[in-house]
Amino acid sequence: MPPFFRLEKKAALTLAILLACGLARAQEADHTQEAPPVPPVFSINGFGTIGMVHSSERRADFVATDLQRKGAGYSNDWSPYVDSRVGMQLNARFTPDLTGVVQVVSEQRYDGSFAPQVEWANVKYNITPDLSMRAGRIVLPSFLLSDARKVGYSSPWVRTPSEVYNLVPITNSDGIDFSYRQQFGDARNTIQASFGQGSAKAPPDNDITGKRGWGVFDTLEYGNMTFHVSYFRTRLTIEGTQDLEAMARLYGGSAGAALADKYGATDKPFEFYGAGASYETSRWFLMGEYGLINPHSAYGKRVGGYVSSGYRIGKVTPYVTYAFADVKSNTSDPGLPLPPAWYPTYSTIAAMNARLNSVLSSAPVQQTYSTGLRWDAYKNVAVKFQFDHSRLGDGSYGMLNNRQSGYVRGGSYNLISATIDFQF
Amino acid sequence: MTRLQKWTRMILVMLMAAACQFAMAQDVVLVVSRKCNVSSLTQEQVADIFLGKTSAFPNGASVIPIDQQEGTGEREAFYHHFIGKTEAQVRTYWSKIVFTGKGYPPIEVVPPERVKRVIRDNPNYIGYIKRRDVDSSVKVVVVLHP
Repeated sequence: MPPFFRLEKKAALTLAILLACGLARAQEADHTQEAPPVPPVFSINGFGTIGMVHSSERRADFVATDLQRKGAGYSNDWSPYVDSRVGMQLNARFTPDLTGVVQVVSEQRYDGSFAPQVEWANVKYNITPDLSMRAGRIVLPSFLLSDARKVGYSSPWVRTPSEVYNLVPITNSDGIDFSYRQQFGDARNTIQASFGQGSAKAPPDNDITGKRGWGVFDTLEYGNMTFHVSYFRTRLTIEGTQDLEAMARLYGGSAGAALADKYGATDKPFEFYGAGASYETSRWFLMGEYGLINPHSAYGKRVGGYVSSGYRIGKVTPYVTYAFADVKSNTSDPGLPLPPAWYPTYSTIAAMNARLNSVLSSAPVQQTYSTGLRWDAYKNVAVKFQFDHSRLGDGSYGMLNNRQSGYVRGGSYNLISATIDFQF
Repeated sequence: MTRLQKWTRMILVMLMAAACQFAMAQDVVLVVSRKCNVSSLTQEQVADIFLGKTSAFPNGASVIPIDQQEGTGEREAFYHHFIGKTEAQVRTYWSKIVFTGKGYPPIEVVPPERVKRVIRDNPNYIGYIKRRDVDSSVKVVVVLHP
């Protein structure tokens, strides 16, 4: 036999053996039990936003939250520091009923740094399939998108409407919470009760602390509709005006003590009420929310609301939003009666009254009309553009921070924003 | 080309597109193990299972959904037809759930043949496959539309 044929015979034999093995293995596979797929115990996810925003108001900064030091307008013509952030999350699934999560977020803080902060760190245990408990740090679901507001990819907008989402100064709660799910026919209700304490830091270096906080948050889902109501209260201390309280008590006698009690921001009951609804189909969404806070202090009883709607055309979702913020308490106060001008405490009391009025008038009054679009450019990447026109109430500087000399309250300003949201 | 021809062509293209959509939707079926005694589910119940809003079949038995890989025709057709969401919408939904520590998307099982084997051997699992891949190892679940 010529070598060529011998080779071919060998090859055929090898092929036959391989085939036989393959068949045997295939048959074998048919008889063995397929093990159920098990998710990994530990996994890592991340998200982030790269954003640029421009403000037409050059004498003040537009910031996404009151906790940021610098923004667009005065500090930067186009600011990358307002919306940009990155988050990393470690998930642990010890058993199907015992899970844990740690999420660290880096974004601009009160001091202008991007020092990472722990956003979530809790252990969740499912007591029954419908009742779960969490212990550790959780983000309060004050509004529909509150607990995911930093994940740009999960929202239709460049940023959640500040008029509403900035009402509550403390967003975290270190403590425990319970969540109970109930089915009523086609509707599903989830009620969450939370107990804990939280803190935040506002520029320049002021601590905001909430103690003995508790809240109830209810979500009802029915078909394409979601309804959300919430109540939350805590004992709130906002650092920054404690010297005013002390001065009022020192110089004002009983009138001063009354003033300090009324406007002081030390260990005051802070109350929050929120309500919202959303309707979402594969084509369009319509949502609206309303919130009210009463801090029982100079920071004022404030309200905020918005309505937003978008329509999906393929990978592009254009939207429009109207939002407002208003104050329901007095924005000025005569303060302590002034002594005669030659009296030694005259200037101190006059300065105190002026500062009290500056805090009272800091509650934002504004209306914002926005339009924008979300483009689902790639898998896990969304590109967004947004234009905002904000009109400020007379005598209000709205949500503008870092105001410079020459800034005039009231009027209006425009924002142009572009973001790239991603997750992995 | 006359205007009539243009219109006819456009209508034909639209009809074909609609037919494709229909064929694609009909192409994918929901399957469970033969050992599982669930034989029908409403569309709402299917959505609840795959969006992690429930961890039990209506009869109380625990249920674990399995997904095919993203980008497969099966997955796109399933979410479009049974859940009424695009893949981008589903990703956005899970983004909200995962980054608030509330849950995890279904486990992905590849290749599609393994989906069938997993389901065949595990009565608590539910998945979707092409209709033409259905054989005696799995049971098709009837989905009741509202």
